[in-house]
Amino acid sequence: MNESSNSPDERLDEHLDDHLDEMTGMLYVEGQLDRQRAQQVSTHAQDCSSCRILLRALERESRLLTRSMLEEDEPLPSRLAAFQQTARKSMQWIWGAVVGLAATGAYALYTGYVEPMQQRFEQAGFGGGSVLNLMIFQGAFWKGWQSMVTLLEVLALLTIAGSAVVFLRRRLRGRGSVFAMMVAGIAAAASIPSPAMATEFRNQGDTIEVGKDETIKGDLFAHGHHVKIEGTVDGDLYVFCQGADVEGHVTGDVIAFAQMLRVNGKVDGNIRSFTNTTWVSGVVAKNLLTFAETVNIDTNGKVGGSVTTFVNTLTIDGSVGRDVLGFVAETAVAGNIGGGLQAQGNTLKFNSGAQVNGPVKFKGEHPPEVSSGAKLAVTPVFTPEEHHKRYEESGFYVWRLIWTAAVILFGLVLFNLLPNFARASVASAERYGASFGLGVLVFFGVPIAAFIACITVVGLMIGISTFILWMTALFCAQIVVGAIVGQWLMGHTRETWQLIGRMVVGVIVLRVLGMIPFLGGWIRFAVVLWGMGAISLAIYRHFTPPAHTATVPVSPAMPPSSLPPNTTIGSPQPA
Amino acid sequence: MSSPGIAEPTEAIARAKAGDAQAWGQLYHDYAPAIFRFCRRALPTREDAEDATMEVFMKLKGKINQYDSSRPFSGWLYKVAANHCWDTLRRRKIRQDKETEDSDELPLEHPDPSQLDRLIEQRSSAEVRKALACLSKRARMALVMRYYSDMSYDEIADELGVRRAFVGVVLLRARHELRNALEGNAALAAGGNA
Repeated sequence: MNESSNSPDERLDEHLDDHLDEMTGMLYVEGQLDRQRAQQVSTHAQDCSSCRILLRALERESRLLTRSMLEEDEPLPSRLAAFQQTARKSMQWIWGAVVGLAATGAYALYTGYVEPMQQRFEQAGFGGGSVLNLMIFQGAFWKGWQSMVTLLEVLALLTIAGSAVVFLRRRLRGRGSVFAMMVAGIAAAASIPSPAMATEFRNQGDTIEVGKDETIKGDLFAHGHHVKIEGTVDGDLYVFCQGADVEGHVTGDVIAFAQMLRVNGKVDGNIRSFTNTTWVSGVVAKNLLTFAETVNIDTNGKVGGSVTTFVNTLTIDGSVGRDVLGFVAETAVAGNIGGGLQAQGNTLKFNSGAQVNGPVKFKGEHPPEVSSGAKLAVTPVFTPEEHHKRYEESGFYVWRLIWTAAVILFGLVLFNLLPNFARASVASAERYGASFGLGVLVFFGVPIAAFIACITVVGLMIGISTFILWMTALFCAQIVVGAIVGQWLMGHTRETWQLIGRMVVGVIVLRVLGMIPFLGGWIRFAVVLWGMGAISLAIYRHFTPPAHTATVPVSPAMPPSSLPPNTTIGSPQPA
Repeated sequence: MSSPGIAEPTEAIARAKAGDAQAWGQLYHDYAPAIFRFCRRALPTREDAEDATMEVFMKLKGKINQYDSSRPFSGWLYKVAANHCWDTLRRRKIRQDKETEDSDELPLEHPDPSQLDRLIEQRSSAEVRKALACLSKRARMALVMRYYSDMSYDEIADELGVRRAFVGVVLLRARHELRNALEGNAALAAGGNA
């Protein structure tokens, strides 16, 4: 066929002498051809039974498709109907209740735990700031980021990060991208304040030493197997090591993460230690705060301020200028305490030579033992530990009820915010073996990993963020297991609100079981392991691409860009 | 555009624009079933469709001021839903999608008109819905936009990000996929009955 010799109409006529191609037929029945072509197709179809059948089939196919899609084969799911109700009434009341309960919980937490603890710290001579301020915001963690001194700023930052995660979670489905963004965001925001000036880092070699004649101007971060300070650190000292000896002079604070910390020299500031053993033979001008197995202030040791300890064994043979506050299993005092002593634990002994100038309060298993050679300003006040009393108090049950409600509301919010993930977590929990196994791994492994990340200074933010996520999973575990228990009792469901109903029942059952003496503790522990494992499994699956389920491995074509709308696909059918 | 069969909710839209929660509830009540069905046809699972329906209405809240009252509300609604569903499907791009895209250039076989006519005659709506679930995401989306919400070729081209000239090709390939799926399902059913 010579195209140049024929007019367009003649060409179309020639084309229609053959049968219609399927594309032309489809465009015809869809009303997508221009008037002239449509007319020609119509004329051709009148004379050609095969094309008439094709057009009829295509037309019926269109109608079948429309009918199939428009048929109301499923009612509106109850979850959407419920959403409809909330759309009418607005969800403000739910958020109001959540915020109200959260505020109540925060108030309860503050008045029940933080405030009494703060008072005890103040009595022990710390005065002023709250426990959080004392331990974190005035402590080592934020050194160099002084502009972030208020709790409000940090909370605001975390809130923004959390909101960003919620907002972006559907836009970012890459592996770990959400977590990475959150950590990076927090880290970036936290890094904005200028870093501490004149800070020195030493982490080379097995042993880090500051020689007798050496003076470090500014803070020193030392990380090694053993750290030995014989010279002067004119600033704060941070040590992360197995053994640390401070024999020289530190003009600032000493913050130690170590197995053994020995202070033989002089520290002008405070000591904050997280150790197995803290041994003070030298002089600490201010306060000592320690989390340890054993703390010993020997006969030459002197602490100018207060001593606050969370330890197994506390021995004070030297002197303490102000108060002693101890959560200690066994306390033995043979030295001088300038202020009072308040302790809680198993035993308290005042040996010969002990002198306490302030009041002594002890709550424990046994009354304090006071040697004849000990000089106490007043008679010790002893409160015996009462183990089972809390079960007899109505307040115990009221608080249990409040916390159960808080957990349920938290679960409600989570199931609504992350319905797919919640369902995935519950489904994962049904793989009992895998969940428990992974739960044990996560429960013990993640805090260790977070700690390791923390002691490498660069990973501090990642370590803290990991730990916060771990704590969150710890709290969420009972919600996931609650949903499983609820499903055992009330049957399986995939509807979100029905699942929430089962979660509520399950959480209540678990909380009641958790109150059984002795056995309850093991039940709670098992729930934590199981739930954490399920959540971890769901997270793992979330970031693992699913297998494709399409049974027809054909996708529509993207034809060459030069094709016009009515292009024939495939060969025309022979006449 | 197909609509849920109700008059244009002009007043409810005006009140919704002013932030009236009751008006939102009314719009949701009237249009949620249709949007849910749209999402149910377009997305792989019922849960996806439920999530998408709620998210579409959330989006509407933010976009309601952009709505041009001179155009049908249901059409605009379907466009938002189509946009959301297609975004959702695209984000789930997985390995096998890439492999199937490689076969896009394969020519389509011309059907035997009589055989095609018989196939269409013998298939029920339920079978079509079942087969629809087996299609590739673009084919499925194109068919839903065209035959559920009656979107124009221009609108489909706009949503799928292809040239208007390709929409016919996309739809025809989708029909072929559907026929293959219908025949495959029928063969499976026959095998199961044997």
